[in-house]
Amino acid sequence: MIQLYNVCKTYQKDAASALHNLNLKIAKGDFVYITGPSGAGKSTLLKLLYCAEKPNRGQILVNGKNITRMGSSHVPQLRRHTGIVFQDFKLLESRTLFENVAFPLEVQGKKRFEISNKVYQTLKHVGLHGKLHKYPLQLSGGEQQRVAIARALVVDPLILLADEPTGNLDLEVTLEIFELFKKANARGTTVLLATHDQELIRRFPRRAIALENGQLVYDHTP
Amino acid sequence: MLDPLIYLFRRVFRNIRQSPVLCSAAVGTVAVALTILAFFSLIVINVQSLAAHWSEEIQIVAYLEREPSPARLKQWRASIEEMPEVAAVLYVDQQEALRRFKSRLGSDSDLLEGFGAEILPASLEISLREQYRTRESAETVVGRLRHNPELAEFNYGQDWLERFEAFLELLRFGAVVLGIFLLFAALFIVANTIKLTLYARRDELEIMALVGATSWFIKIPFLLEGALQGALGALLALIGALALFQLFLRQGLVALLSVSGGDQVVFLVWQQQLMLVCTGILLGLVGSVLSLRKFVRI
Repeated sequence: MIQLYNVCKTYQKDAASALHNLNLKIAKGDFVYITGPSGAGKSTLLKLLYCAEKPNRGQILVNGKNITRMGSSHVPQLRRHTGIVFQDFKLLESRTLFENVAFPLEVQGKKRFEISNKVYQTLKHVGLHGKLHKYPLQLSGGEQQRVAIARALVVDPLILLADEPTGNLDLEVTLEIFELFKKANARGTTVLLATHDQELIRRFPRRAIALENGQLVYDHTP
Repeated sequence: MLDPLIYLFRRVFRNIRQSPVLCSAAVGTVAVALTILAFFSLIVINVQSLAAHWSEEIQIVAYLEREPSPARLKQWRASIEEMPEVAAVLYVDQQEALRRFKSRLGSDSDLLEGFGAEILPASLEISLREQYRTRESAETVVGRLRHNPELAEFNYGQDWLERFEAFLELLRFGAVVLGIFLLFAALFIVANTIKLTLYARRDELEIMALVGATSWFIKIPFLLEGALQGALGALLALIGALALFQLFLRQGLVALLSVSGGDQVVFLVWQQQLMLVCTGILLGLVGSVLSLRKFVRI
């Protein structure tokens, strides 16, 4: 599903590279932790996968397409099959839960009844169908992250990229959130979860790759 | 087909609802700039049309050294009437000149008591054909007439016309410079106002891009919003310009140009009004495009 060949990424000339000669293969339906200390290149790797950044060198293939050669007009199409979850949720505070989750479907030009149905089902899946008309700031951090996950899952993504999704949450909520990722993975979505939470990795052992100074230092499948 | 269109307009109106102050600021800026522009255009248009009207009345008066013999006069008239520019030639003898002068003096005509007709010269009044009623044609005709030594002096309002044309040129140039300056100022302010609204919604723009919105999907509502603000500003400017025209400008121009009745002082015709609205729309659109370039990058 995802292949990286000799990928290098430097943000500024003469600065240390964020990623250095990275080679990686992730199969369809995999669940992979990306771990490592802050500044190791975890976020950069995810950004390359949703085309927020371009590598300076190397090739990246996603679902058989070379995204390093892809023109900017094709980026939206790639992102429509990619769910992205952030540590700071990135929800629209002026919109209700329903509107937040409906957003990716509106962008894709889906019909209104189709949107309503799908959004309701997805919010039910994350256990928030009773709060459709609440606003993000009326919810707890854990609930907000569940909305963000619902927004990522509502398009039935092929790939789910999560950048420290539980970084701001306590253990109990983290476990709840993790369950959602597991469920998505069970339905066939390839999940890449960037985290430095070793406790999580110990509790739910999956393939884990570790980055340090932009280089792959560890790749282990239990 | 209808669904995306309704969705698009819902997004436009949601944007406007979300930042009414910024939206009003953009509309106000366009309105003020275009009102000033329309105001100066009105002055230029009216002065210019009156000038054109005046130049239609251009005619050449050739003053004679002495009254000619009828045969001489006949000969001159024939040769002048042969010129392609000339429509008609009227001979005003000294008696007629005195009579005219007296009637012009009105109640003060007794000042001329004791003077005879010989104090005024006889003259030939040469009116030009419509297409030749310009200063250049008048000069051409005068150039030919100068060969006749009996014709002492010519008058076709040359000094006055020259000065007036220079003034008109200056007015036109001033209006163009001011217009360009105002349009750029309005564009700058509109672009920055829209930039502020975009800055306030940068999260939304970022999320849109992240969930797969195409660049046009993101941009079109903002472009429409800009165009709408521009159109609204231009309509307000039209109302403002009409109010200024009715309250001050009409009387001012009538007094300045000494036009009787003021019927010749006109407001912008519908094509000019449409042009003003289009300018407003263009201002809004270009303002949006300039700011969107910075904010929407996928």
